[in-house]
Amino acid sequence: MLQVMLWLPLAAGLLACLVARRLTGWVAAAGALGTLALAVGILIDFDSASAGVQHAVDEDWIPDLGVRYSLGVDGISIFLVLLTAVAWGAATFWSAIRMPERPKTYFLMMGIAETATLGAFLAQDLLLFVLFFDLMLIPFYFLFGSWGTEHPGRPGEGTIRPTSATIKMVIYTLVGSLLMLAGAIAAGVIAGEGTPVFSMEELRGGDALSESSQRWIFWFFAAAFLVKMPAFLVHGWMPDAYRVAPLAALAVFSAVLSKVGAYGFLRVVLPIFPDATLEFQEVLLVIALASILYGSVMAFTQTSARLVAGYSSVAQLGFITLGVFALRPDGADGAVLQMVNHGIVIVPLMLILVLLAERTGGDDITRMGGLAMRAPVLATLFLVVTMALLAMPGSANFIGEFYILNGVFQEKVVFALVASVAIAIAAYYALRLFQRAMHYRKRDDVESREIGWREGGIVGGLVACIVALAFYPGVVLERSDESVKEQLGAVSRSAPIAQSDDSHFRPQGNPE
Amino acid sequence: MEATEYGWLILAFPLAGSMLIALGWKLLPGRSAGWIGTLAIGLSFAASLGALFQLLDLPADERQLTHSLYDYASAGGLEIEMNILLDPLSVFMCLVVSGISTLIHLYSVSYMTSDVGFRRFFSYLNFFVFSMLLLVLAGNLVLLIVGWAFVGFASYALISYWYRRSTATEAGMKAFVINVVGDIGLVLAALFLFRELGTFDLLGIFEAAPEEFSTNEGVAVAIGLLLLVGAFAKSAQVPFHTWLPDAMEGPTPVSALIHAATMVTAGVYLIGRFYPVFEIALTAADVAAIIGLVTLLLAATIALVVTDLKRIIAYSTMSQIGYMIMGVGIGAYSAAFFHLMTHAFFKALLFMAAGSVIGAMANRQNIDLMGGFRAAMPFTCATLLIGAAALAAFPGTSGFFSKDEILAFAEHRGGFYWVFAIGGYIGALMTAFYAFRIGFRVAFGEPVPEARELEQGHIHHAEPKNPATGEKEDTDVGFPGSSHQIAEREWPMKIAMSVLAFGAIFAGLVQVPGLDAVVEHFLEGSFEDSALYGELPSDAAEWRGLGIGAIISLFGIGIAAQLYLRRPGTTARLQQQLAGLHSFLSHKWYFDELIDALIVRPALGFGRWANTTFERYVVQGLVVGAEGTAKGASALVRGAQSGYLRSYALLLLVGFAGLGLYFLVAGS
Repeated sequence: MLQVMLWLPLAAGLLACLVARRLTGWVAAAGALGTLALAVGILIDFDSASAGVQHAVDEDWIPDLGVRYSLGVDGISIFLVLLTAVAWGAATFWSAIRMPERPKTYFLMMGIAETATLGAFLAQDLLLFVLFFDLMLIPFYFLFGSWGTEHPGRPGEGTIRPTSATIKMVIYTLVGSLLMLAGAIAAGVIAGEGTPVFSMEELRGGDALSESSQRWIFWFFAAAFLVKMPAFLVHGWMPDAYRVAPLAALAVFSAVLSKVGAYGFLRVVLPIFPDATLEFQEVLLVIALASILYGSVMAFTQTSARLVAGYSSVAQLGFITLGVFALRPDGADGAVLQMVNHGIVIVPLMLILVLLAERTGGDDITRMGGLAMRAPVLATLFLVVTMALLAMPGSANFIGEFYILNGVFQEKVVFALVASVAIAIAAYYALRLFQRAMHYRKRDDVESREIGWREGGIVGGLVACIVALAFYPGVVLERSDESVKEQLGAVSRSAPIAQSDDSHFRPQGNPE
Repeated sequence: MEATEYGWLILAFPLAGSMLIALGWKLLPGRSAGWIGTLAIGLSFAASLGALFQLLDLPADERQLTHSLYDYASAGGLEIEMNILLDPLSVFMCLVVSGISTLIHLYSVSYMTSDVGFRRFFSYLNFFVFSMLLLVLAGNLVLLIVGWAFVGFASYALISYWYRRSTATEAGMKAFVINVVGDIGLVLAALFLFRELGTFDLLGIFEAAPEEFSTNEGVAVAIGLLLLVGAFAKSAQVPFHTWLPDAMEGPTPVSALIHAATMVTAGVYLIGRFYPVFEIALTAADVAAIIGLVTLLLAATIALVVTDLKRIIAYSTMSQIGYMIMGVGIGAYSAAFFHLMTHAFFKALLFMAAGSVIGAMANRQNIDLMGGFRAAMPFTCATLLIGAAALAAFPGTSGFFSKDEILAFAEHRGGFYWVFAIGGYIGALMTAFYAFRIGFRVAFGEPVPEARELEQGHIHHAEPKNPATGEKEDTDVGFPGSSHQIAEREWPMKIAMSVLAFGAIFAGLVQVPGLDAVVEHFLEGSFEDSALYGELPSDAAEWRGLGIGAIISLFGIGIAAQLYLRRPGTTARLQQQLAGLHSFLSHKWYFDELIDALIVRPALGFGRWANTTFERYVVQGLVVGAEGTAKGASALVRGAQSGYLRSYALLLLVGFAGLGLYFLVAGS
């Protein structure tokens, strides 16, 4: 089932190239839907009491190098797989409705991208992970570069062109990726003593790697993940890429690819380099905090709706990183939940931006206004998305942030106090985005028109997911808890003192 | 049925009502959405009564019930359930909230008739009440925060209900953001409590707090102060009060709902509910009392000069909530909650009467333009005067018994607490004055043209303008509604106002010193472990307090009568003589300007700098080096683009596709 799910999007993409032009989109959409169904099937099958990998596939691939084709899901990746399937399902359907130019290549790229992303979440072999991680970049290079549109840019910036923006993105991420590749090979070779070992399971615990090698390999991996997120100071590619990208592709990119970085920290860095993780915990927390504050303040001052979304993602990924590096189960549980939440919110947001652009001619929020009057359904959907984006208590996003803050608060009070400032700023910029678009008087060049039923179905479905999660965020937390503890186990083993010091952590309510 | 089952019903009806109206918005004809909304809240009130009777059947010391519906979000050592706490305090709050809200809904059915957003209005209104009920029924701190934030959201939605007015959208934003600041205070308090006590459960916290904390321990005070941030933001206490007067941008029934039944009383509830913490963190309790006193005086001074009818009432709310916050701060719990109840009656009444007057004035709200309505609108003017009398604590009315009970308690506690009694009486004098400033200006004097027109049976009609800016409203979209409603012509409004007027006069009789003490006895079950609850002044001392209050109230009303009835025009002269003071007060002590200079401008300035300078030179420059290198590099890349990068991409792609195929074949 896992195998089929992984390769189905690619197969559908290839098939979409072969069928008649008008069927292309629907074949791809059917593939995405099938993937989603399989992902749901895997979730239903999932045993939340187990911390380990389930549905495992393990084959020899390149035996001489110790590389194995090994896949599986655990409590962390299962929801990211599901998120991937949901995001791609929505974006592919959306694209099928509004057929892009050169649809065959477009849908092929979307299919490759989904397979690559799923692969990154499923890979249980370090090199396989790196391979999928790098493969993710390629289809997006084409999607953003070829289907992107020019953007007028911020004052004094000049026009942003798709090609140059894409190249900037590729350079940034490629530097990170190559470092990670080197790091992965180094880790495998050093740990293997003769025959390289790349199995994540065997590398876990950090016994195989000395502290000094962990230290530099940690940063090779961190570079790749931080750029992907993106984090503060390495986010230089984000503003350009976000402004030129086609929004349906950007929706999945922003929703899922940024999470691969956070997932990588939790699933790869923490268990394999536990000593380095402990050593650099505060550095990462500072980076996370800087991302949160910088992203929030920037989102607060942008006039481009795409950039509001982009910088808010920087801030949100900062929160997620903060949760991971709290190195406590509550913080990391919150981080996993927040990855899902952010993804499930950013996809409808991006799709709504498409609708706003159609009605107002661009993404400049100072040139919008008054859309709500003739579009009550659109306004309502947008309002729910906005409230989830600003992590309104009652949404699952709030529970995610609450868990993260709780984790950080118990360990490093100051970080939590400073991070909480961002919540107020988020309220402002998210609401400003909504109000500027939907409220105030309608401008003459703005058309207030209701969302179509097909688009409404897609956005409405995603909003229904947001609402359902809001009623029961425990559905994620309960399943991720065991796996999260497993990842953190390696870190606490390397720090026996830190663990015994942790007197306030009282495990409760876990019958297992 | 069990008491807790009633508790869930209290929540279920408003939520169901809100969702029904929202989802069925296209199918509901005419006023039906309004009737559904009213019915939903009415049923919620009935369920509250059911819970009350169930609770009264239980022995007095077993009246704290909790019930969990399901495990909401538990993992990683945290336990957060979907549970409610049903005890005398929460049932008391439910009765006040749902009871008053039912009447406000009833009033709105008429008042909002011609508004295009009628259904949206009732959906929001029901959600507002649901949020408030969730807040008071929540059994753990996380759920309480959820209700707390929902209230903030609902207030946002209703304040910016007429969203085409820029003043309304901005007022909504302000209310929302300030409320989020309050939410953060609560969140941090919750995290602190969890760190110290290991639980979010309210009863768990109250049980553990006295054991874990020593009196005035630093952590406990910090928790208390963080809780106060939340309470002050919601209850519009200094310095988080600036949203409340702006919230008058919402339709008048919304103002009534925010000020009487929901929202602003939440802070009082929170402090009262967390009395075990505040009785340990005495410093925090004192801070609450001091801020309450400052707010009540500050708001009263502003209410003396503001000319917008609704804003005068808004500042009076701020001031009255100041009394309640002061009350719970000094430990006069039963008096504070008693005042909360009576205030709900007379404040809702005042807003409804004001709404009726504003209807007759074709949406103009400046009291300088009003006068002499007593012949044209006898019912409205009578209820307005009843409301004003209760607000002014006229002897015998409900406000008289409740407000003066707080002050008598302050006097009784003695020492430093005398300050609160004296400050409270000074505030009471101003309150009596401005309450009748409204009453006399609107009801008496020479009838204005609008009043004359109404005497001849025709409601004045004018081109709709935004009362705040004078901007013309765009009537094409149909809100605010095209026609105006006054109580004299609408039976639902009349019924709602009559019930409230009855309450405003007689509700005080449930707790008359020496005769009965219904509220005090009932709430006792929620304040079992309080050291201060039983510390009540003697009946004689209470009557002495009431006596002083009566004199002050009559004196204030007398001044108002002198200035507005016997010698109209005196105030204009006073204004000229004290121009500096008048401008200071009309600028609301310059709080908005202060916040703007301290917070908003620096943040915007930083953003602008970051946008233009930091992003371009530091972030972009970091990787590529100096500007020149950047150009060189991009030229290089442009050259390589067609060659290297594409072939790399293609190679990977082809290799990968091949690999995939291999496994598809090999796997099967």
